[in-house]
Amino acid sequence: MRDWKPALRSRLSGLRLTPSREAEIIEELSQHLDDRYGELRRGGMADAEAHALALEDLDDHELLRREMQPLRQSSAPVPVVPGQTRVRLAADLWQDVTYATRMLSKHPGFTAAAVLTLALGIGANSAIFSLVNATLIRKLPVPASHELVYAFNTAIGGGVFSYPAYSALREATQTVNNLAAWGGITASLNADGETDLVAGNIVTGNFFETLGTTAATGRLLGPADDVTVGGHPVAVISDRLWRQRFGRRPDIVGHEVLLNGHVFTIVGVTRPEFFGPQVGVVRDLYVPMMMQAVMRPPRAGYSGDLNPDLLKNAGNSWLFTIGRLKPGQTPEQVSAELAGLFTTLARQLNPAITPRQVPVVRVDDGIPGQQDQLRRVALLLMGVVAAVLLIACANVANLLLSRAASRRRELAVRIAMGASRWRLMRQLLTESVLLSVLGGVLGVAVAWLVARGFEAAPPPAGALPIALDFAVDERVLLFTFLLSLLTGVVFGLGPAIAASRPSLVPALKDATGDQSVRQRRFGLKKMLVVTEVALSLVLLVAAGLFVRSVQSAYAIDPGFDADRLLSAPLNVNLLRYLRAQGRDFYQRVVDRMTALPGVQSASVARVALLSVGRTTSLLIEGRSGPNDTFVSSGTSTQANRNSILVNVVGPGFFETLGVPRNSGRDFSSTDLETSPRVVMINDAAAREHFPGVDPLGKRVSLSGPQGHWLEIVGTVRDSTYSALGETVRPVAYLPLSQNHETGVTLYVRATVPPGTLAAAVRREIQALEPNLPVPNIQTMEQTIGTSLYAPRMGAWLLTVFGGLALLLATIGVYGVLAYSTARRTREMGIRIALGAEARSVFGLIVREGMALVAMGIVAGIGIGWFTVRSLSGFLYGIEPTDAATFTVVTGVLAVVALAACLIPARRAMKVNPIVALRCD
Amino acid sequence: MKHVRPGILDRELKKGSAELLVLSLVAHRPRHGYEIGKLIEARSEGRIRFKVASLYPLLYRLEERGWIDGRWVERAGERRRRFYRLTAAGRRVLTEQRSTWRSFVEAMARITGAEHA
Repeated sequence: MRDWKPALRSRLSGLRLTPSREAEIIEELSQHLDDRYGELRRGGMADAEAHALALEDLDDHELLRREMQPLRQSSAPVPVVPGQTRVRLAADLWQDVTYATRMLSKHPGFTAAAVLTLALGIGANSAIFSLVNATLIRKLPVPASHELVYAFNTAIGGGVFSYPAYSALREATQTVNNLAAWGGITASLNADGETDLVAGNIVTGNFFETLGTTAATGRLLGPADDVTVGGHPVAVISDRLWRQRFGRRPDIVGHEVLLNGHVFTIVGVTRPEFFGPQVGVVRDLYVPMMMQAVMRPPRAGYSGDLNPDLLKNAGNSWLFTIGRLKPGQTPEQVSAELAGLFTTLARQLNPAITPRQVPVVRVDDGIPGQQDQLRRVALLLMGVVAAVLLIACANVANLLLSRAASRRRELAVRIAMGASRWRLMRQLLTESVLLSVLGGVLGVAVAWLVARGFEAAPPPAGALPIALDFAVDERVLLFTFLLSLLTGVVFGLGPAIAASRPSLVPALKDATGDQSVRQRRFGLKKMLVVTEVALSLVLLVAAGLFVRSVQSAYAIDPGFDADRLLSAPLNVNLLRYLRAQGRDFYQRVVDRMTALPGVQSASVARVALLSVGRTTSLLIEGRSGPNDTFVSSGTSTQANRNSILVNVVGPGFFETLGVPRNSGRDFSSTDLETSPRVVMINDAAAREHFPGVDPLGKRVSLSGPQGHWLEIVGTVRDSTYSALGETVRPVAYLPLSQNHETGVTLYVRATVPPGTLAAAVRREIQALEPNLPVPNIQTMEQTIGTSLYAPRMGAWLLTVFGGLALLLATIGVYGVLAYSTARRTREMGIRIALGAEARSVFGLIVREGMALVAMGIVAGIGIGWFTVRSLSGFLYGIEPTDAATFTVVTGVLAVVALAACLIPARRAMKVNPIVALRCD
Repeated sequence: MKHVRPGILDRELKKGSAELLVLSLVAHRPRHGYEIGKLIEARSEGRIRFKVASLYPLLYRLEERGWIDGRWVERAGERRRRFYRLTAAGRRVLTEQRSTWRSFVEAMARITGAEHA
C-alpha cells in the first residue's frame, strides 16, 4: 500500500478539520487512490506513471479544498486516535470517571477496603465538623446578625447589669437601636398535671424586636407585654418544648400552664431554628420582664417575705444585654459611649468609683471566654480526627502503590499508545478521588450515626458549659465533599506520580523492571508506614493520657466522703416560700430523711457541691479593705485577691458530708438570727488570710465595711468546691440559721447503697410539697460522673480514635510486609535453598517490619513529646509528658505491630524453594 | 464539480444531475466511493467521470443532508472502506428528483424533437 497521506494532507490543510475527521477523510481518499493505482497497474502501467496518474485526480490543488469548504465537519463520534493530544475536559473527565468506575468495580476487595478506611477517616472528620459547625461557626438564626452586639459589664463577673442600669443605658444610648436585655431563669412548669423544670429567659419587651425573629405560631412577646409590673402573665415557648412537652398540640396558643405556681397563658411558639440569644445555649421559655418577681426572684439571701423586686434594685446585677448597631456605628464607638454613660450612672451612687468599662462585641464573634474554651476543645478534636484521616490516607496510598505495581503493564501500554504522563496521572487521580468521594458518602453516614447516637445518649444536664449539636446540614455536606476531594488528591498524588512513570520496556514485557524505580516506590511505602505508626502513637498517647487523667480524677480526694451520699434540689425559691415557711420545710425534710431506714444523717447547703458557686470579697477587721470591685452574686469569677467562695449550710452539714473539723466548733443551735454572727472557713482561707495566726475569734465581713461582722468560730479541712481537680480555694461557710436561703440542696448520708433511697427521698419531699419539682435526685457518684462527663467523653473519643489509628497502622504494617515478602519470594527461596534456616528467614522479615515500627515509634515519641503539651489544660493530676503513659502505649503499639509482622514472616518461612526459583 | 468531456453535456445540467446519479447508485445496495465513481463512468460509457476532488465532497454533502449514510466496514485482509447507503430521507428525495428529471427530459425531447421533426 502506498502512502498518500502527505499528498492528501497538503490539499486538506487550511480547512481546519478536527484531527480525527481529517484522518478519516485521508483514510477514505487513500483507499480510493489505492484502488485507482491498482487498476492502472493491472492495466500494465509502470509504477511511477500509475502513481502520477492516480494523483492527477487531485490535480487542481484548490479544487478539493473549495469543494470541502462549505461542508460542516462530521458530527460522528470521534474515535480515540493514538498519539494524539486533545483538550476536551468534560468528555475526558466523563471518560475517566466511567473508566475509574469500571476499574474499581473489577476489584471489589480493594475498593471495599479503601472506601471503608476512608469512610472512617472522613466520617470522623465530618462528625467533629458538624459539632464545630453547630457550636462555633453557627450564627444566631436571625436577620442581619452582623448588626447585633452584646454589651458587658466588667465590674461584675459574668458581664451582667442591674435592671436600673440597663434601663438608663437603653434610654440614653445614641449608638444602639433597641438595647434589649434578658436574664436566665429556671422555672417550674406545671402543665397537664406534670411538673418539671424548664430553662428559659425573662426578657424585655423589645427583645424579640431587637433580634428580629418571628413566631412560628401565635405571637412573640412585645413592648405591650412589658408595661405593668406583675401584669403580664404570658409566655412564649420554643418549638422544642412545644414538640417534646406538648406533643405539638395545635391549640397551644391560649393554653394555660402553671409557672412557679402562677397561671400563665402561652401566646406563641418560636421558630424551630431559634434557640435563644446565645449560640450554644438552648432556652425553651420566654416570659416578660415585668413578671420578674415571680419568674426570677433574687437568688442570694432571698426569701418570699423580702421584696422580690429587682426592677428597682441597682445593687443586683443579673441582666445580659443585646442591641443593634445604628448605621455607621462600630462596637468600639458603642463601647466608648456606654462606658461613659455607665460611669456617670455609677458615680451617682458612689462618686469615688473608677471609670467603668463596657466591652461591646459583635454577636457573630460570640462570647469571648466561652468561644476560647470551645475553640481549644474543637482544635484538639479536629487535630485528632485529622491525624486519623492522615493515617487512613497513608493506608490507602499504600494500597494504591501495591496496585500500581500490578497495573504497570496497563499503564505502560497506554503510554506506548501515546498517552501523556499528565493524562495517566489524571486518570489515576480520578480513581483516587472517586474512592474518596465514595468514602465521603459513607463518611456522611458515619457522621449521621454519631449524631443520632449523641441524640440517643445526651450528656447529663449541666455536664457541659454549652449545648452541643451534631446537626448534619448542607455546610457539613459541603465540608465533607471538599474534604473528600482533598483526601483523594492527598493519598492519590504520590502513587499517581510514581505509577505514571513506569520504565516502558520491562513493563511491557511484564518483567520486574527497573530496580531503582521499584526501590523508590517501596521507599515511599515504608515512609508512609513509619508516618502511620508515628501518628497513631501520638493519638494513643493522647488517649492514654486522657484515660489516666480520668482515672486520677476519680481517685482525687474530694475532701468529703463521696460514698453513699445522695443529693436532691429543694428549689422552694420557685414557690416563693416565706422565711418561716422555708425554715420549717427544711427542718421537716431533714427530719423525714433521718427517719428513713438506711439514712445516717441529712443536711442542706445553698451551693451544691461541684457546681458553679458564689464568690464574694472578704474583708478582715482591722485590715485595709478590698477595692471597690465587690462581687455579690451569680458567678465564681474572681475579681480581686480577697475573693472568697461562700456557701450557706444547714446544721450537721460537715458531719453529713464527712468533712472533718480542724479547729474551733461547728455551727450549733445557739447560732440564732439574734445571736452574734458567726462564720467557719476552710484551711485554704486560713492559710491565705491568717498565715501563722490563729483565725479563731477574728472578725470578717463578706458584705463590705457596712456589712455584718462575722466571728470565725471554726475551721474545716479543704474540700472540693466547684470541680474535681481544681486548685483548692478559700471558702467561707455561713450558718443557714443566720443567713436564710430559699432554695437549697439536700444531702443525705446513707448506710445502704444510696441509689436505692432515691424513690423514698422523692416521695417524702413531694409528700411535704406536691408542687415542688424534684427533677434530679443524684448519688454523689453520679454528680462526680456528670462533672467529669467532658473528660470522660474526651477519653472515650480519643480511645476510639486512637484504637482506630492503631488498627489502621497495623493494617499498614501488615500490608507493606506482605507486599515486601511477596516481592522477595525468589530471594527467600534462594536463601532457603542455600541452607538458611526457617528461623532466620522468619527473623529477617520480622526485623524488617519492626525496624519500620521502631522508626515510627521514635518519630511518634518525638512528635508526641511536643504536641501533647497542649493537652495539659485538659488533664487532671497528670503531666502530659507522663513517662508511664508513653511507655505503656509504646509497648502496646509494639506488640500489636509485632503481631502484624508475624503473618508475612510465617509465609516467608514456608516458601518452597523449588516453586520460588521457578517463578519470575 | 463533475469533470465532463467538452461538448457532450452542459456544465450546469451536470451539476444538477450529479446528486441524482449518486442517490440512484446507492438506492439498492451500499457502495463505497471508488465503486460509485467507477459505475458512473462505466454506465455513462465514459462520458461522465468524477474526479476524486469532486466526488467525495459530494458524498459528504449528501451525508450531511442526511440523504446517505456512510459506515466503515472492515473485511479480513483489506483496508477498511466506507460504504454509503440511501437513507429514508434520501429515498424520498430520489423519488422526487427522478420524476422531476423525467418530466424535464420529456419536455426537452418534445421541444427539441419538435423543432427538428
